Amino acid sequence: MPSDPDIWLHIIYGYLHDLAIATYLGGAVAMEFVLGPAQGSIPPAQAQVMGQKTSDRFLWLVWGSLGVIIVTAVLRLEHLGRLDWTWPFFNSGLSLDQSYGRTILAMFLLWCVLVVNGSLVTFVFRPRLAGKFTPGTSAAQVTASQTAKMQAATWIQRLTRVDLGVAVVIALMGASLKWGGLI
Amino acid sequence: MDTLLATVHALAWAVYVGGSITMEWVLRYAQRTMPPSQVGVVCKNAGTRYRWFALVSLLVIGASGAAMFLRIDDAELAARAGSPELSLGDSYGRTMLLLTVGWLALAATVAAMAFWLHPAQRKRSRPDMTSEAIAAERLRIGRAIKQMDRALKFELVVSVICIGIAASLRTGGLI
Repeated sequence: MPSDPDIWLHIIYGYLHDLAIATYLGGAVAMEFVLGPAQGSIPPAQAQVMGQKTSDRFLWLVWGSLGVIIVTAVLRLEHLGRLDWTWPFFNSGLSLDQSYGRTILAMFLLWCVLVVNGSLVTFVFRPRLAGKFTPGTSAAQVTASQTAKMQAATWIQRLTRVDLGVAVVIALMGASLKWGGLI
Repeated sequence: MDTLLATVHALAWAVYVGGSITMEWVLRYAQRTMPPSQVGVVCKNAGTRYRWFALVSLLVIGASGAAMFLRIDDAELAARAGSPELSLGDSYGRTMLLLTVGWLALAATVAAMAFWLHPAQRKRSRPDMTSEAIAAERLRIGRAIKQMDRALKFELVVSVICIGIAASLRTGGLI
């Protein structure tokens, strides 16, 4: 067992970082290829309830993972001596003339893409799916609402697939850091 | 090649561990409000798909892990912080062995779920069954569901621990 608390800290940061990435990526795969098709095996009304429950719960996992990923990434870089809390923050290893620095920047930008997509799903498209009809709603309003819901569901599916692709690219870049970076 | 192998290895772990967390945290939560008959249908459908994902992920983890193991360069390893060695006399080697044991435990659990526990949950009913036989069948299915539940929890705990063991390899090992 390591006796140095500093090494333990490094292991814990790495562990939480890896676990958060696994939760995000593996969760997206399970939602898309396991739970999604399983939803199709039950009646549509029940499938809608199941979809809402699983999505609500999964969004907690997504936001939790994205938060843990960025916090542990910053702490690990600081622990490796590549980042500090005083100006200019980035140390020599993170400059853009080195592959390591460019790869870290690309990973951060892609993480921002995941946050933007997650925000779109959580705050724009999910609320559109949750709307209910009141007794006085006309047939035209019902049709318009159903069209809007279907469009929102299509967008959520597209964004989830984009997120999955982006997460795979981030994993590739992360793996390359051990050998100095990818780009 | 090293980057590609490490990416495939990490992705397979992510699909496997993230999948089991999602099954436990998301699917189990959604099941609570569903009628029992539909829980059965969803479980059968999701369980069948998930077991193939889990088996393929574990195979990829094993194959890419073995390839990475064979490509370990002693000189490059010694140059890392703490100069780890690939022997049981060193923490790095012992941790690697522990990770392999963890992988074997996971592979055995997933194989047991796929080929024994999951099929055991199928209801076997015949028109000539007595009420005692029906009660015994219900009891058997109940036991099979409980065993599956235990196996899923064991799998989740071991896989999450394996991620921690693997993370410790970067700093020279854990034990």
